[in-house]
Amino acid sequence: MRRVVLGRVLLLAGLLGLWELWARHGDPLLYVPPSRVVPALARLLRLEAYPTLPAHVGLTAFEVLVAYALVVALGLSLGFALGLPRHVGAIYEPILAACYAIPSVVWYPSLMLFFGLGPASKIAFGVLLGFFPVVLAVLAGLRAVEPHLLTVSRALGAKPAACFVKVVLPAITATLVAGLRAGLALTVVGVLVGEILGARRGLGYLINYTYGFFRTADYAALALLALVLVLLVDGIAAWTESRARRWTEGAA
Amino acid sequence: MRPVTAAHIEVRAVGKQWRTRDHPVPALESVSLDIAPQEFLTVLGPSGCGKSTLLSIIGGLTPADQGEVRIAGRPVIGPDPRQMAMVFQDPGLFPWRTALENVEFGLELQGVPGPIRRERARALLEPVGLRGFERRYPRELSGGMKQRVAIARALALDAPILLMDEPFGALDEQTRLLMGEWLLGIWARTQKTVVFVTHSLQEAILLSQRIVVMTARPGRIKASFAVDLPAPRDLDTAPAATLRRALWDAIRDESRRALDGGA
Repeated sequence: MRRVVLGRVLLLAGLLGLWELWARHGDPLLYVPPSRVVPALARLLRLEAYPTLPAHVGLTAFEVLVAYALVVALGLSLGFALGLPRHVGAIYEPILAACYAIPSVVWYPSLMLFFGLGPASKIAFGVLLGFFPVVLAVLAGLRAVEPHLLTVSRALGAKPAACFVKVVLPAITATLVAGLRAGLALTVVGVLVGEILGARRGLGYLINYTYGFFRTADYAALALLALVLVLLVDGIAAWTESRARRWTEGAA
Repeated sequence: MRPVTAAHIEVRAVGKQWRTRDHPVPALESVSLDIAPQEFLTVLGPSGCGKSTLLSIIGGLTPADQGEVRIAGRPVIGPDPRQMAMVFQDPGLFPWRTALENVEFGLELQGVPGPIRRERARALLEPVGLRGFERRYPRELSGGMKQRVAIARALALDAPILLMDEPFGALDEQTRLLMGEWLLGIWARTQKTVVFVTHSLQEAILLSQRIVVMTARPGRIKASFAVDLPAPRDLDTAPAATLRRALWDAIRDESRRALDGGA
């Protein structure tokens, strides 16, 4: 374990060193070495560079929140509506798989047309990206429920509603939470990409703005900020997922 | 565990066909059986003879295509946990529940309040030798322990009839023998009607009061044997050997047919 950690630190240091070396010999307008990112990040966090930063981050967080709430609601209801009745899988599965295969970005222009330049189109794009993993997780989870457990619970007197609440839901929890985690990650991506592609506010907009004006150091600092925020969100999701997995599999 | 009044089981001309792509495959054909209250009846047959299907029909999990099953005079139309409890070869414990919570499942469905439920479940785990294992999860238990939890879960329903589908089939020989003795103890204490499905001659002789032998597919009742051996039973005595011989004669052709039939 210690060796792994040491290896990681060395790898990271090596990469940073390479980046520094590479960037110092390039055009300072385009290439920014880590040594310039750190002060930029400090200025950013002290709100000297962009005093409105909290508002931008707040808007992005709001969009992610709304989009994710919709992802959970729509994804779960569609997943169960499609997955619970037997024999309908053959009808929709090819369509669903085809939709999933289309690069979602191609839908974005039409979303902007429908929902405008404001937060609504970002939310819609976040939903579009986050929605599929959740639906697919529900379907995969339902398919993997052991029929024998349902037989046993029926023999013990469980009616369909009780079978669903006491057997199906617990049995699919781990798969479901994994899908919800993937959905959350993609929702964040959708919102950020949406903001980068066209917005007037938000973290993504700010990233696009700094990049457009060749404020490369600020751009890198913002990217780092986004990275930390995403890692934080995913860290919470990962923790929840491991808890859910342990619970479903019955570990002390 | 308190003694319960068991009810008479009548199986009347029950038939079942499995639907496959081209033609229906007969699984059971005109099976009739009477099972007396508090009887320990074993259904013996080669694999694929439909004995599990028969048990599933008695338990109300599978509808019969012909005929009917009556318990205490009333036709069986679905699972009835007040009348019967089922145990399967695969214990089918819920992996996200502890041993105790698994035993509580049926009581939970009946709306028994938490503290009473837990107390009753604990009282059931103790005699099955699982004291101290209440909070273990299924994957922390051995095969025999899991099956005992499953049996305790079925007993928790306190139904007068216990339907057992090769409950010890997946266990090793020694565990199997011990579990058989343990089951006889429960049967003696609780006065339940037990319908026990197995393909093991030895198990049938050691446990039952009566053994019915089924034919290969489609399953029919071929012969019925009363077992009048004193307890505790010993397979090495002459009467046991004679019975074993008779059972084997009855089942040998069927097993061969089952083999030839690709079952």
